[in-house]
Amino acid sequence: MENKKLTAKDFITVGIFTAIVFVVTFVCMMLGFIHPYVVASYVIIMPIVGAIPMMLFYCKVEKFGMITIMSVLFAIIMFIFGMGFLGAPFIVLAGVIADLVAKKGGYKNFKYISVSYGIYCLWICANYFPLIVTAEAYRQNLLDEGYSVEYCDSLFRAVNGKTIIVLMLISFICGYIGAYLGRAVVKKHFEKAGIV
Amino acid sequence: MEIKLDPRTKIYMIFVVSAIVMMSATTPLLWALRIIMTMVPIMLLVVEKRYASALRFFALYIIAIILIFYFLSAESTGLIKALLTGYCGIVAQFSPAFITAWYVIHSTKIDEFMSAMQKMHVPDGVTISLAVVMRFFPTIKEEYGSIRDAMKMRGISFAGGNAVKMVEYRLIPLLFSCVNIGDELSAAAITRGLGGKIKRSSVVELKLGVLDYALIFLFTCATIVFLFQKYIKP
Repeated sequence: MENKKLTAKDFITVGIFTAIVFVVTFVCMMLGFIHPYVVASYVIIMPIVGAIPMMLFYCKVEKFGMITIMSVLFAIIMFIFGMGFLGAPFIVLAGVIADLVAKKGGYKNFKYISVSYGIYCLWICANYFPLIVTAEAYRQNLLDEGYSVEYCDSLFRAVNGKTIIVLMLISFICGYIGAYLGRAVVKKHFEKAGIV
Repeated sequence: MEIKLDPRTKIYMIFVVSAIVMMSATTPLLWALRIIMTMVPIMLLVVEKRYASALRFFALYIIAIILIFYFLSAESTGLIKALLTGYCGIVAQFSPAFITAWYVIHSTKIDEFMSAMQKMHVPDGVTISLAVVMRFFPTIKEEYGSIRDAMKMRGISFAGGNAVKMVEYRLIPLLFSCVNIGDELSAAAITRGLGGKIKRSSVVELKLGVLDYALIFLFTCATIVFLFQKYIKP
Protein backbone atom coordinates (compact mmCIF):
# COMPACT_ATOMS: atom_id res chain seq x y z
CA MET A 1 0.00 0.00 0.00
CA GLU A 2 2.84 2.35 0.76
CA ASN A 3 4.78 4.43 -1.67
CA LYS A 4 1.94 4.69 -4.12
CA LYS A 5 2.23 7.88 -6.06
CA LEU A 6 -0.67 9.64 -7.61
CA THR A 7 -0.84 9.33 -11.36
CA ALA A 8 -2.38 11.53 -14.03
CA LYS A 9 -5.45 9.30 -14.07
CA ASP A 10 -6.09 10.04 -10.40
CA PHE A 11 -5.78 13.76 -10.94
CA ILE A 12 -8.31 13.60 -13.74
CA THR A 13 -10.71 11.62 -11.56
CA VAL A 14 -10.37 14.26 -8.86
CA GLY A 15 -11.05 17.01 -11.38
CA ILE A 16 -14.17 15.36 -12.74
CA PHE A 17 -15.70 14.69 -9.37
CA THR A 18 -14.86 18.15 -8.10
CA ALA A 19 -16.73 19.59 -11.07
CA ILE A 20 -19.76 17.39 -10.46
CA VAL A 21 -19.91 17.97 -6.70
CA PHE A 22 -19.47 21.66 -7.25
CA VAL A 23 -22.34 21.83 -9.73
CA VAL A 24 -24.57 19.94 -7.31
CA THR A 25 -23.72 22.23 -4.41
CA PHE A 26 -24.07 25.28 -6.60
CA VAL A 27 -27.63 24.33 -7.45
CA CYS A 28 -28.37 23.89 -3.74
CA MET A 29 -26.77 27.22 -3.03
CA MET A 30 -29.11 28.97 -5.44
CA LEU A 31 -31.99 27.91 -3.21
CA GLY A 32 -30.51 30.01 -0.41
CA PHE A 33 -31.55 33.21 -2.05
CA ILE A 34 -35.21 32.36 -1.72
CA HIS A 35 -35.25 32.54 2.04
CA PRO A 36 -32.52 32.93 4.68
CA TYR A 37 -33.61 29.84 6.57
CA VAL A 38 -32.62 27.88 3.50
CA VAL A 39 -29.09 29.21 3.97
CA ALA A 40 -28.99 27.52 7.35
CA SER A 41 -30.42 24.33 5.92
CA TYR A 42 -27.49 24.03 3.51
CA VAL A 43 -26.00 21.79 6.16
CA ILE A 44 -28.79 19.30 5.57
CA ILE A 45 -29.29 19.50 1.82
CA MET A 46 -25.71 19.63 0.63
CA PRO A 47 -24.25 16.63 2.48
CA ILE A 48 -27.15 14.41 1.47
CA VAL A 49 -27.39 15.34 -2.19
CA GLY A 50 -23.63 15.63 -2.53
CA ALA A 51 -23.19 12.18 -1.01
CA ILE A 52 -24.15 10.41 -4.22
CA PRO A 53 -21.24 11.67 -6.34
CA MET A 54 -18.93 11.62 -3.32
CA MET A 55 -19.58 7.96 -2.56
CA LEU A 56 -18.82 7.12 -6.16
CA PHE A 57 -15.65 9.14 -5.75
CA TYR A 58 -14.69 7.26 -2.59
CA CYS A 59 -14.99 4.02 -4.57
CA LYS A 60 -12.26 5.30 -6.84
CA VAL A 61 -9.96 6.64 -4.14
CA GLU A 62 -7.10 4.32 -3.31
CA LYS A 63 -4.25 6.61 -2.41
CA PHE A 64 -3.58 9.38 0.02
CA GLY A 65 -3.93 12.87 -1.39
CA MET A 66 -6.94 12.69 -3.66
CA ILE A 67 -9.40 14.00 -1.11
CA THR A 68 -6.88 16.65 -0.06
CA ILE A 69 -6.51 17.89 -3.62
CA MET A 70 -10.28 17.98 -3.95
CA SER A 71 -10.55 20.20 -0.91
CA VAL A 72 -7.83 22.50 -2.26
CA LEU A 73 -9.78 22.85 -5.49
CA PHE A 74 -12.92 23.57 -3.53
CA ALA A 75 -11.12 26.23 -1.55
CA ILE A 76 -9.99 27.87 -4.79
CA ILE A 77 -13.45 27.75 -6.34
CA MET A 78 -15.15 29.04 -3.19
CA PHE A 79 -12.64 31.86 -3.05
CA ILE A 80 -13.49 32.84 -6.62
CA PHE A 81 -17.15 32.82 -5.79
CA GLY A 82 -16.64 35.23 -2.95
CA MET A 83 -16.50 33.16 0.21
CA GLY A 84 -13.41 34.92 1.41
CA PHE A 85 -10.02 34.11 2.88
CA LEU A 86 -11.47 32.96 6.16
CA GLY A 87 -13.04 29.79 4.90
CA ALA A 88 -10.30 28.52 2.60
CA PRO A 89 -7.84 27.19 5.22
CA PHE A 90 -10.69 25.51 7.04
CA ILE A 91 -11.84 23.75 3.89
CA VAL A 92 -8.34 22.40 3.26
CA LEU A 93 -8.01 21.33 6.90
CA ALA A 94 -11.31 19.43 6.73
CA GLY A 95 -10.10 17.77 3.53
CA VAL A 96 -6.78 16.65 5.04
CA ILE A 97 -8.43 15.20 8.13
CA ALA A 98 -11.07 13.45 6.04
CA ASP A 99 -8.29 12.01 3.92
CA LEU A 100 -6.40 10.74 6.97
CA VAL A 101 -9.50 9.11 8.43
CA ALA A 102 -10.31 7.37 5.16
CA LYS A 103 -6.70 6.24 4.88
CA LYS A 104 -6.94 4.57 8.25
CA GLY A 105 -9.65 2.34 6.83
CA GLY A 106 -7.55 1.68 3.77
CA TYR A 107 -10.10 3.58 1.67
CA LYS A 108 -12.23 0.45 1.64
CA ASN A 109 -13.65 0.17 5.15
CA PHE A 110 -17.04 1.79 5.00
CA LYS A 111 -17.09 2.72 8.68
CA TYR A 112 -14.13 5.00 8.17
CA ILE A 113 -15.45 6.28 4.88
CA SER A 114 -18.72 7.46 6.38
CA VAL A 115 -16.90 9.27 9.20
CA SER A 116 -14.49 10.73 6.70
CA TYR A 117 -17.33 12.03 4.55
CA GLY A 118 -18.96 13.51 7.62
CA ILE A 119 -15.78 15.42 8.38
CA TYR A 120 -15.44 16.47 4.79
CA CYS A 121 -18.93 17.96 4.95
CA LEU A 122 -17.73 20.42 7.57
CA TRP A 123 -16.40 22.49 4.67
CA ILE A 124 -19.95 23.69 4.16
CA CYS A 125 -19.73 25.44 7.52
CA ALA A 126 -16.62 27.26 6.35
CA ASN A 127 -18.93 29.30 4.16
CA TYR A 128 -20.62 30.68 7.25
CA PHE A 129 -17.36 31.90 8.77
CA PRO A 130 -17.46 35.38 7.23
CA LEU A 131 -20.95 35.72 8.71
CA ILE A 132 -19.81 34.95 12.21
CA VAL A 133 -16.36 36.42 12.57
CA THR A 134 -17.38 39.71 11.05
CA ALA A 135 -21.07 39.59 11.87
CA GLU A 136 -21.65 43.33 12.16
CA ALA A 137 -19.66 44.28 9.10
CA TYR A 138 -21.20 41.49 7.08
CA ARG A 139 -24.66 42.61 8.01
CA GLN A 140 -23.86 46.13 6.94
CA ASN A 141 -22.46 44.72 3.71
CA LEU A 142 -25.67 42.92 2.93
CA LEU A 143 -27.72 46.02 3.65
CA ASP A 144 -25.48 48.05 1.39
CA GLU A 145 -25.84 45.45 -1.29
CA GLY A 146 -29.57 45.92 -1.20
CA TYR A 147 -30.72 42.97 0.85
CA SER A 148 -33.68 43.86 3.02
CA VAL A 149 -33.55 44.21 6.80
CA GLU A 150 -36.01 41.37 7.05
CA TYR A 151 -33.66 39.05 5.17
CA CYS A 152 -30.69 40.04 7.31
CA ASP A 153 -32.49 39.62 10.59
CA SER A 154 -33.70 36.16 9.77
CA LEU A 155 -30.29 35.23 8.42
CA PHE A 156 -28.54 36.21 11.62
CA ARG A 157 -31.15 34.60 13.76
CA ALA A 158 -30.34 31.34 12.01
CA VAL A 159 -26.58 31.72 11.76
CA ASN A 160 -24.50 33.14 14.59
CA GLY A 161 -21.66 32.29 16.93
CA LYS A 162 -23.82 30.04 19.07
CA THR A 163 -25.52 28.10 16.34
CA ILE A 164 -22.34 27.42 14.39
CA ILE A 165 -21.46 24.53 16.69
CA VAL A 166 -24.90 23.08 16.14
CA LEU A 167 -24.61 23.65 12.42
CA MET A 168 -21.27 21.86 12.32
CA LEU A 169 -22.72 18.98 14.27
CA ILE A 170 -25.71 18.77 11.95
CA SER A 171 -23.56 18.81 8.86
CA PHE A 172 -21.42 16.04 10.29
CA ILE A 173 -24.44 13.92 11.14
CA CYS A 174 -26.09 14.58 7.80
CA GLY A 175 -22.86 13.69 6.09
CA TYR A 176 -22.75 10.45 8.05
CA ILE A 177 -26.32 9.59 7.12
CA GLY A 178 -25.79 10.82 3.59
CA ALA A 179 -22.87 8.44 3.23
CA TYR A 180 -25.18 5.48 3.81
CA LEU A 181 -27.81 6.86 1.45
CA GLY A 182 -25.18 7.60 -1.16
CA ARG A 183 -23.76 4.11 -0.86
CA ALA A 184 -27.20 2.62 -1.28
CA VAL A 185 -27.66 4.60 -4.49
CA VAL A 186 -24.20 3.67 -5.74
CA LYS A 187 -24.94 0.02 -5.02
CA LYS A 188 -28.31 0.18 -6.68
CA HIS A 189 -27.18 1.82 -9.88
CA PHE A 190 -23.47 1.62 -10.41
CA GLU A 191 -22.39 -1.71 -9.05
CA LYS A 192 -25.11 -3.40 -11.03
CA ALA A 193 -23.82 -1.71 -14.15
CA GLY A 194 -20.27 -2.69 -13.30
CA ILE A 195 -18.88 0.85 -13.33
CA VAL A 196 -17.34 0.76 -9.90
CA MET B 1 -8.02 43.39 -33.63
CA GLU B 2 -6.84 40.54 -31.55
CA ILE B 3 -5.65 40.66 -28.01
CA LYS B 4 -3.82 37.79 -26.50
CA LEU B 5 -3.46 37.91 -22.78
CA ASP B 6 -1.16 35.82 -20.75
CA PRO B 7 -3.01 33.28 -18.59
CA ARG B 8 -1.14 34.62 -15.58
CA THR B 9 -2.72 38.03 -16.12
CA LYS B 10 -6.11 36.39 -16.31
CA ILE B 11 -5.55 34.50 -13.08
CA TYR B 12 -4.48 37.71 -11.41
CA MET B 13 -7.65 39.35 -12.70
CA ILE B 14 -9.83 36.63 -11.20
CA PHE B 15 -7.99 36.95 -7.92
CA VAL B 16 -8.41 40.70 -7.69
CA VAL B 17 -12.02 40.80 -8.85
CA SER B 18 -13.13 38.13 -6.43
CA ALA B 19 -11.32 39.86 -3.59
CA ILE B 20 -13.04 43.14 -4.43
CA VAL B 21 -16.53 41.75 -4.75
CA MET B 22 -16.28 40.40 -1.23
CA MET B 23 -16.03 43.88 0.18
CA SER B 24 -19.10 45.99 -0.05
CA ALA B 25 -19.15 49.22 -1.94
CA THR B 26 -20.49 52.03 0.19
CA THR B 27 -19.65 55.25 -1.59
CA PRO B 28 -20.32 56.22 -5.22
CA LEU B 29 -16.59 56.11 -5.95
CA LEU B 30 -16.35 52.55 -4.76
CA TRP B 31 -19.35 51.57 -6.82
CA ALA B 32 -17.76 53.22 -9.85
CA LEU B 33 -14.55 51.28 -9.32
CA ARG B 34 -16.46 48.09 -9.03
CA ILE B 35 -18.47 48.75 -12.14
CA ILE B 36 -15.33 49.60 -14.09
CA MET B 37 -13.75 46.37 -12.98
CA THR B 38 -16.78 44.50 -14.19
CA MET B 39 -16.67 46.28 -17.51
CA VAL B 40 -13.11 45.17 -18.24
CA PRO B 41 -13.92 41.48 -18.72
CA ILE B 42 -17.04 42.42 -20.67
CA MET B 43 -14.91 44.51 -23.02
CA LEU B 44 -12.50 41.64 -23.33
CA LEU B 45 -15.39 39.40 -24.30
CA VAL B 46 -16.32 41.87 -27.04
CA VAL B 47 -12.75 41.77 -28.29
CA GLU B 48 -12.96 37.99 -28.32
CA LYS B 49 -15.99 38.40 -30.61
CA ARG B 50 -18.37 36.84 -28.13
CA TYR B 51 -20.93 39.58 -28.62
CA ALA B 52 -23.98 37.65 -27.48
CA SER B 53 -22.62 36.66 -24.11
CA ALA B 54 -21.03 40.07 -23.59
CA LEU B 55 -24.38 41.73 -24.22
CA ARG B 56 -26.18 39.29 -21.96
CA PHE B 57 -23.82 39.84 -19.06
CA PHE B 58 -23.86 43.58 -19.61
CA ALA B 59 -27.65 43.77 -19.60
CA LEU B 60 -27.97 41.53 -16.58
CA TYR B 61 -25.48 43.51 -14.56
CA ILE B 62 -26.86 46.91 -15.48
CA ILE B 63 -30.43 45.89 -14.70
CA ALA B 64 -29.41 44.56 -11.31
CA ILE B 65 -27.50 47.72 -10.50
CA ILE B 66 -30.34 49.98 -11.55
CA LEU B 67 -32.85 47.99 -9.54
CA ILE B 68 -30.66 48.12 -6.47
CA PHE B 69 -30.11 51.84 -6.70
CA TYR B 70 -33.59 53.00 -7.50
CA PHE B 71 -36.12 50.49 -6.33
CA LEU B 72 -34.74 48.58 -3.42
CA SER B 73 -33.72 49.75 -0.03
CA ALA B 74 -33.22 48.35 3.43
CA GLU B 75 -36.92 48.86 4.14
CA SER B 76 -38.25 46.76 1.34
CA THR B 77 -40.44 43.91 2.57
CA GLY B 78 -42.91 41.50 1.11
CA LEU B 79 -42.42 38.38 -0.93
CA ILE B 80 -41.87 39.81 -4.39
CA LYS B 81 -39.46 42.42 -3.18
CA ALA B 82 -37.65 39.87 -1.06
CA LEU B 83 -37.23 37.62 -4.07
CA LEU B 84 -36.17 40.50 -6.27
CA THR B 85 -33.70 41.64 -3.63
CA GLY B 86 -32.28 38.17 -3.47
CA TYR B 87 -31.76 37.90 -7.20
CA CYS B 88 -30.33 41.38 -7.58
CA GLY B 89 -28.08 40.66 -4.65
CA ILE B 90 -26.71 37.57 -6.32
CA VAL B 91 -26.24 39.26 -9.64
CA ALA B 92 -24.61 42.39 -8.31
CA GLN B 93 -22.38 40.57 -5.90
CA PHE B 94 -21.30 37.51 -7.77
CA SER B 95 -21.56 38.40 -11.42
CA PRO B 96 -18.28 40.36 -11.62
CA ALA B 97 -16.39 37.30 -10.43
CA PHE B 98 -18.56 35.05 -12.54
CA ILE B 99 -18.06 37.07 -15.72
CA THR B 100 -14.32 37.15 -15.21
CA ALA B 101 -14.19 33.43 -14.58
CA TRP B 102 -16.39 32.79 -17.61
CA TYR B 103 -14.14 34.90 -19.78
CA VAL B 104 -11.02 33.15 -18.56
CA ILE B 105 -12.47 29.68 -19.05
CA HIS B 106 -13.66 30.44 -22.56
CA SER B 107 -10.60 32.30 -23.76
CA THR B 108 -7.80 30.19 -22.34
CA LYS B 109 -6.64 27.08 -24.08
CA ILE B 110 -5.88 24.25 -21.73
CA ASP B 111 -2.26 23.95 -22.83
CA GLU B 112 -1.68 27.66 -22.26
CA PHE B 113 -3.19 27.33 -18.82
CA MET B 114 -1.08 24.30 -17.98
CA SER B 115 2.15 25.90 -19.03
CA ALA B 116 1.32 29.07 -17.11
CA MET B 117 0.66 27.05 -13.98
CA GLN B 118 3.88 25.16 -14.53
CA LYS B 119 5.76 28.42 -14.77
CA MET B 120 4.29 29.51 -11.47
CA HIS B 121 5.48 26.23 -9.92
CA VAL B 122 2.05 25.03 -8.88
CA PRO B 123 2.12 21.30 -8.04
CA ASP B 124 1.15 19.01 -10.89
CA GLY B 125 -1.79 17.54 -9.03
CA VAL B 126 -3.53 20.86 -8.60
CA THR B 127 -2.75 21.96 -12.16
CA ILE B 128 -4.11 18.87 -13.86
CA SER B 129 -7.18 18.64 -11.66
CA LEU B 130 -7.96 22.31 -12.10
CA ALA B 131 -7.56 22.04 -15.86
CA VAL B 132 -9.99 19.13 -15.88
CA VAL B 133 -12.48 21.09 -13.78
CA MET B 134 -12.28 23.99 -16.21
CA ARG B 135 -12.75 21.74 -19.18
CA PHE B 136 -15.57 19.85 -17.55
CA PHE B 137 -18.16 22.52 -16.82
CA PRO B 138 -19.25 22.87 -20.45
CA THR B 139 -19.35 19.08 -20.76
CA ILE B 140 -21.62 18.76 -17.75
CA LYS B 141 -23.93 21.38 -19.18
CA GLU B 142 -24.08 19.58 -22.49
CA GLU B 143 -24.72 16.20 -20.92
CA TYR B 144 -27.37 17.64 -18.66
CA GLY B 145 -29.10 19.16 -21.69
CA SER B 146 -29.28 15.76 -23.36
CA ILE B 147 -30.61 14.14 -20.20
CA ARG B 148 -33.30 16.76 -19.91
CA ASP B 149 -34.30 16.25 -23.52
CA ALA B 150 -34.52 12.52 -23.04
CA MET B 151 -36.66 12.99 -19.95
CA LYS B 152 -38.96 15.36 -21.76
CA MET B 153 -39.38 12.87 -24.56
CA ARG B 154 -40.51 10.22 -22.14
CA GLY B 155 -42.60 12.70 -20.16
CA ILE B 156 -40.91 12.14 -16.81
CA SER B 157 -39.46 15.61 -16.27
CA PHE B 158 -41.19 16.00 -12.93
CA ALA B 159 -41.21 12.36 -11.92
CA GLY B 160 -44.77 12.68 -10.70
CA GLY B 161 -43.78 15.47 -8.31
CA ASN B 162 -41.49 13.24 -6.26
CA ALA B 163 -38.55 15.39 -5.27
CA VAL B 164 -36.22 12.51 -4.44
CA LYS B 165 -36.96 10.84 -7.76
CA MET B 166 -36.43 14.15 -9.55
CA VAL B 167 -32.93 14.38 -8.13
CA GLU B 168 -32.23 10.73 -8.81
CA TYR B 169 -33.39 10.82 -12.42
CA ARG B 170 -31.11 13.70 -13.16
CA LEU B 171 -28.04 12.90 -11.11
CA ILE B 172 -27.55 9.23 -11.90
CA PRO B 173 -27.41 9.47 -15.70
CA LEU B 174 -25.19 12.51 -15.35
CA LEU B 175 -22.77 10.59 -13.17
CA PHE B 176 -22.77 7.68 -15.59
CA SER B 177 -21.86 9.78 -18.58
CA CYS B 178 -19.31 11.85 -16.64
CA VAL B 179 -17.50 8.75 -15.40
CA ASN B 180 -17.32 7.39 -18.93
CA ILE B 181 -16.07 10.66 -20.34
CA GLY B 182 -13.51 10.78 -17.55
CA ASP B 183 -12.14 7.38 -18.50
CA GLU B 184 -11.80 8.44 -22.11
CA LEU B 185 -10.18 11.68 -21.05
CA SER B 186 -7.55 9.99 -18.94
CA ALA B 187 -6.79 7.52 -21.72
CA ALA B 188 -6.32 10.42 -24.12
CA ALA B 189 -4.16 12.34 -21.66
CA ILE B 190 -1.87 9.39 -20.95
CA THR B 191 -1.43 8.81 -24.67
CA ARG B 192 -0.13 12.33 -24.90
CA GLY B 193 2.39 11.72 -22.17
CA LEU B 194 0.71 13.41 -19.24
CA GLY B 195 2.08 12.10 -15.99
CA GLY B 196 5.42 11.06 -17.44
CA LYS B 197 8.58 11.52 -15.44
CA ILE B 198 10.14 14.01 -17.81
CA LYS B 199 9.26 17.68 -17.49
CA ARG B 200 6.77 18.58 -20.14
CA SER B 201 7.63 21.19 -22.69
CA SER B 202 5.04 23.42 -24.26
CA VAL B 203 4.46 24.59 -27.82
CA VAL B 204 3.06 27.86 -26.59
CA GLU B 205 5.60 30.40 -25.46
CA LEU B 206 4.24 32.57 -22.72
CA LYS B 207 5.38 36.10 -22.43
CA LEU B 208 3.95 39.07 -20.63
CA GLY B 209 3.14 41.76 -23.17
CA VAL B 210 2.52 45.47 -22.81
CA LEU B 211 -1.18 44.91 -22.46
CA ASP B 212 -0.63 42.40 -19.69
CA TYR B 213 1.40 44.87 -17.71
CA ALA B 214 -1.18 47.58 -18.35
CA LEU B 215 -4.01 45.42 -17.06
CA ILE B 216 -2.06 44.25 -14.05
CA PHE B 217 -1.23 47.85 -13.26
CA LEU B 218 -4.84 48.96 -13.67
CA PHE B 219 -6.19 46.23 -11.43
CA THR B 220 -3.55 46.78 -8.79
CA CYS B 221 -4.29 50.49 -8.71
CA ALA B 222 -8.00 49.84 -8.45
CA THR B 223 -7.44 47.51 -5.52
CA ILE B 224 -5.24 49.97 -3.70
CA VAL B 225 -7.70 52.80 -4.19
CA PHE B 226 -10.56 50.59 -3.11
CA LEU B 227 -8.84 49.47 0.06
CA PHE B 228 -7.66 52.95 0.86
CA GLN B 229 -11.08 54.48 0.41
CA LYS B 230 -12.81 51.82 2.40
CA TYR B 231 -10.58 51.20 5.36
CA ILE B 232 -8.19 54.07 5.85
CA LYS B 233 -9.89 57.29 4.90
CA PRO B 234 -13.17 57.17 6.79
